[in-house]
Amino acid sequence: MPSVRDLRDRIRSLKNTQQITKAMKQVAAAKIRRAEALQKQSRPYADAIGAMLRDLIANVGSIDHPFMKPGAADAPGGVILMTADKGLAGSFNANLIRMAEIHGRENANLAWYAVGIKARNALRRQRGETLQVWPLAQGDMFANAQALAQRVTDDFTSGRIASLILVSPKLVNMMTQRPELRQILPIVADTDTDEAPKGGAVEFEPSPEFVLGRLLPKYLEFTLYSAMLETNASFYAAQLVAMNNATENAKKLIDQNTIEMNKARQAAITKEILEIVGGAEALAG
Amino acid sequence: MANAIPFQLITPLSVKFDGEAELVIAVGTEGEVGILPSHAPYLTALRPGVLRANVHEAGGATRRLELALSEGFMQALPGKVTILADAALDRDEIDIAQARADLAAAQEEQKAAGGDLYAQRRALVKIDYANARLAVAGV
Repeated sequence: MPSVRDLRDRIRSLKNTQQITKAMKQVAAAKIRRAEALQKQSRPYADAIGAMLRDLIANVGSIDHPFMKPGAADAPGGVILMTADKGLAGSFNANLIRMAEIHGRENANLAWYAVGIKARNALRRQRGETLQVWPLAQGDMFANAQALAQRVTDDFTSGRIASLILVSPKLVNMMTQRPELRQILPIVADTDTDEAPKGGAVEFEPSPEFVLGRLLPKYLEFTLYSAMLETNASFYAAQLVAMNNATENAKKLIDQNTIEMNKARQAAITKEILEIVGGAEALAG
Repeated sequence: MANAIPFQLITPLSVKFDGEAELVIAVGTEGEVGILPSHAPYLTALRPGVLRANVHEAGGATRRLELALSEGFMQALPGKVTILADAALDRDEIDIAQARADLAAAQEEQKAAGGDLYAQRRALVKIDYANARLAVAGV
């Protein structure tokens, strides 16, 4: 049985841990607010570029852009694995990495891109080559997204990769973040037609094909940027939950240990009294 | 009050302007394009350049809006003008030293690009954007 002093030390260390997790929880709560604000600010752009793309596709007779056609047949499939830069967020990164691993087992011949330090580390442990690595939340996120889009565009159009798949988290709500695997290239045209094209009267300068050729790379860039925003927001949401749980667990352990410490102290006192009584009786007898 | 049209300038980071404009002039890939209210439906790609617009202030006065735009798109629909751009900077946001450095770097890049048309275009975009920033900053 541990002594009173051992238990007191243990409780003190638990309290320190609890303070750290509580602080991290508060930081995550503040950061998630900022991440969500950024996401919200990017929504008008998403709506506008989506609408333009639909108008264009409705107006372009035949879509002749490399992004809309399957890539080189024998090239490896490109995969972007997007995770956070840091851990301490429960199974957030592990879930994403597992999904990528499963995809890697099912498909031979893949080439990887890593976004986020955890993704880089995971891919480094695995076989397969990693073409390039970007941090998720260091520096200018939009510039990073642009660089990533540039790289995958170059690789796709020059036939170094045949397609592009993105593994990233989807922020369902604050408590749930689900890893998701979706195809980025070739671009799957959004064919929902509930918004009827506004007739063939739109004038394009210089031509619909030209504007589409300019719009698609921007669309790719923005898709990747918004995935990075979502990854970032999901990470803080996951961290918030993880740190909340850790704080509660620490509290539970502190309570348990406090009871045990009190018991141990009481046992020591009882033992001492018994010894005194025993000694007194021995003298009297 | 002269007639005006709702005008939005949107970047991935924020909605830069949302209000009414009497006139919007942007640099399209084929040259400067001016949009007045009741323009026919129109969609064009924009080169980096200076965006000028006469917009309505809250009080009803007209203000001249001048922004340095990076690559983007302009769409005129009946009753609405939308510009999408990677970045739109007004005068106070422009770092002149940075713009100068970017210009010099982009010019080097253009020289190095040689016959590679793709790289040439990329360098030109950077040069245009740097020039637009310098123009708006009034250098």
